[in-house]
Amino acid sequence: MDLETPTAENPHGSPAPPAFDIVSTYRTILESDPDLTMPVAAIEALVEAIAHSTVSTVAETLDLLERHTAVLKKSIPNPISLSAGTDLFQRYLVTTLNRPASLNLGPDDDFRAIRNHLLSNGRLFVERAKASREKIASFGKHFIRDGATVLTNGGSRVVGALLRRAAESSHMRFRVIYVLSPSTSTDSREGHQIVADLRSHNVPVATIPDSAVAYSLGKVDMVIVGAEGVVENGGIISRMGTYQMGLLAKSKGKPFYVVAESHKFVRLYPLSQFDLPIEQKVLDFTVSVVDKGVSSEPNDEGIADMNAEEVRKCSGNTAQDSVDFTPPDLISGIITESGVLTPSAVSEELIKIWF
Amino acid sequence: MSDPPASEAAPPAVPAPAEKKISPAELKKQKAAEKQARRAQQKAEPPAHQQQGPATKQKDSKQPPKDDRSRPLPVRRRASQSNVPVPKDVKKEPKKEVKQVGLFFSHLYSQPRQHSVVGASKDVHPAILALGLQYSSYVICGSTARMVAMLLAFKAVIESYQTPVGTSLARHLTSHHLSPQIDFLRSCRPLSISMGNAIRWLKDIIIKIDPSTPEAEAKREMLEEIDNFIRDRVTAAGQLISGYAVKKIEAGDVILTYGSSSIVEQSILRAHREGIPFSVIVVDSKPLFEGKQLSRKLANHGLKVRYYLITGASHAVKDATKVFLGAHAMMSNGRLYSRVGAALVSMLASSQSLPVIVLCESVKFTERVALDSIVGNEVAPAEELLSESEREALLPLKPLLPQSLRKGDEVEDTKPETGDVLKWIEGSENLQMLQVLYDVTPAEYIDMVITEYGSLPPSSVPVVHRLSTNT
Repeated sequence: MDLETPTAENPHGSPAPPAFDIVSTYRTILESDPDLTMPVAAIEALVEAIAHSTVSTVAETLDLLERHTAVLKKSIPNPISLSAGTDLFQRYLVTTLNRPASLNLGPDDDFRAIRNHLLSNGRLFVERAKASREKIASFGKHFIRDGATVLTNGGSRVVGALLRRAAESSHMRFRVIYVLSPSTSTDSREGHQIVADLRSHNVPVATIPDSAVAYSLGKVDMVIVGAEGVVENGGIISRMGTYQMGLLAKSKGKPFYVVAESHKFVRLYPLSQFDLPIEQKVLDFTVSVVDKGVSSEPNDEGIADMNAEEVRKCSGNTAQDSVDFTPPDLISGIITESGVLTPSAVSEELIKIWF
Repeated sequence: MSDPPASEAAPPAVPAPAEKKISPAELKKQKAAEKQARRAQQKAEPPAHQQQGPATKQKDSKQPPKDDRSRPLPVRRRASQSNVPVPKDVKKEPKKEVKQVGLFFSHLYSQPRQHSVVGASKDVHPAILALGLQYSSYVICGSTARMVAMLLAFKAVIESYQTPVGTSLARHLTSHHLSPQIDFLRSCRPLSISMGNAIRWLKDIIIKIDPSTPEAEAKREMLEEIDNFIRDRVTAAGQLISGYAVKKIEAGDVILTYGSSSIVEQSILRAHREGIPFSVIVVDSKPLFEGKQLSRKLANHGLKVRYYLITGASHAVKDATKVFLGAHAMMSNGRLYSRVGAALVSMLASSQSLPVIVLCESVKFTERVALDSIVGNEVAPAEELLSESEREALLPLKPLLPQSLRKGDEVEDTKPETGDVLKWIEGSENLQMLQVLYDVTPAEYIDMVITEYGSLPPSSVPVVHRLSTNT
């Protein structure tokens, strides 16, 4: 029904908005610029969508946006980070569209002018979001002291930028322990890239598997992680394994910093790991369904192996891009481009945006 | 107890009139000396003075403290600038504090609760009289219900109000007509935070009325504003909050709640209507047993309800998956001020790492902070602690009473009455009953506060409070 309305209202036969393929636009934008994060790419795609459409009223714009957002969210397995961007953009649109006078467009509220303003501002937003990573790096590098050992994980680009920036300032000597999963996901590929980059900057880096976090924590002075989304209570949603790092760091009294751009703040309030609005099949309880007719020793082993293989395949696939939730009480500070926040300040920032 | 304060209060007061003319600096010096003397005196006989401690302190501070709970201590005003003759007070004081009440809660015993309309000011509107009695007998209970009932009664007051000649509505209504009503309500039961917020809002509305508006129109406007207020801040807010809360209830959950909260009830029923299969544990305690009614209501709607008293709370939390609490108020430091026992329940729950969720309309937010449950609280009549059957159960113990208490009764020696039990307790020196109504839950035991603005961590309470009062 939603799809029909705009075309029905468009008598001059202009191409219907849904003809615009938001998902492929999003994908190409994301691929074209390796520095882009999901929320920014989503916003850029939405700006593109508005630019391609022929909407002429406020309600139509919002409706179009909502439809595209829904399509986009459905197309990817974990829309949390993306929804941070789309929500933000939608919110921005609502506030600007409700107050056209504030745009100084003159008394005559020409929607075309408003739209152009929106488009240019949307692009400006994207520019700013890209620049924020550098700003965060400049804030965050002061947290790394001379002689410190930093523990980090995953392939967060903003963490990479921060560490690189710290390495570039000449007087700093620090070491990095990098938690890398042995898999070949894009995430760990980026991780390897950052490790190589840091090593070329003369930073000693040790890579460890997930299981060695507790072991190496004694040598660690601080933990820095990236985040996919920062939720309302100041907790973060991040790649699987971050929560346990947080727990371990807290139990050993090591500061645990999160680096995230403020467009990753998302209006979500998970109460526990299983309260996230996405389906994750990390816990997959199974029993082996084998006929018990043959039960010789080697055969058994074979079955076990096969099962293990299966499990690895199964949860390996999901655990790679699955996320967990790190509650705010484990987090010492969140470094954003607008400053270093305590976890409780996140909700204030979100309230500022939403009300 | 009765003697020392009087004798102690006398010395600072007597010289005061004589030295009226001396400079402030000298006066200050004098006071410091007095203070030291008093301190020495106190040290000399410490046990007797424990109770008088706060009063003497207030004497020294120049401005009278704003806290109106300390009003019944007449010592304070006399010391700083006094024309009141001393002997009169000496006579008064022993009467006032026959028995030291409430230990460290003594500052909360401001005035006995009014249970009748006798002695009410003639200005008090009948609707308010009725409401006051409903408050004092807990017929209307719960901070939202009390606030709404008060606003509705105020509507009746405003409707029958006529501005006297020579005054303006904005000035006369707030200060002369509304305040006796509020005073009467306060004498029936201390005002809730939400009522205080609503009164502040209403006064603000009235003051802002343009004096040139005809009276009829102004009254109509006010009534409309009150209706809107109730609709926006209570009805609509309740719907929004229950909507958010329902999203947090998942299939198979066991929701634990304490006492009875209208908004929790609304949310649970809504989730039930939406077909989510879950069950409820209601934890309750004496003397109000508010949870009984809640459990009955929920059970009547077909929900599976388990009912515990607070003594079984540690077992109750083991079966629960989430805790929903109502609030009397949310303090600006993120603490929850709620029915006494809520702190216990939430602490037990968070020791089991259950999420504790507070449902609270923003009209109950206050800019005040609470560090403990002692400084600000409400003391209810202690006799409510003993139900009629419990009193009856105590009657056979009469022969065990100390001689001093028994004497009076034995003269008439009729059949024992349950009311006597209260007299025994009142008469006994070393036993007193204390019933406080609220307690404060520290913010770290609260995972989430759901308001009509959305879900927030308790640390964001002041932000939302600012937001809801500014707009």
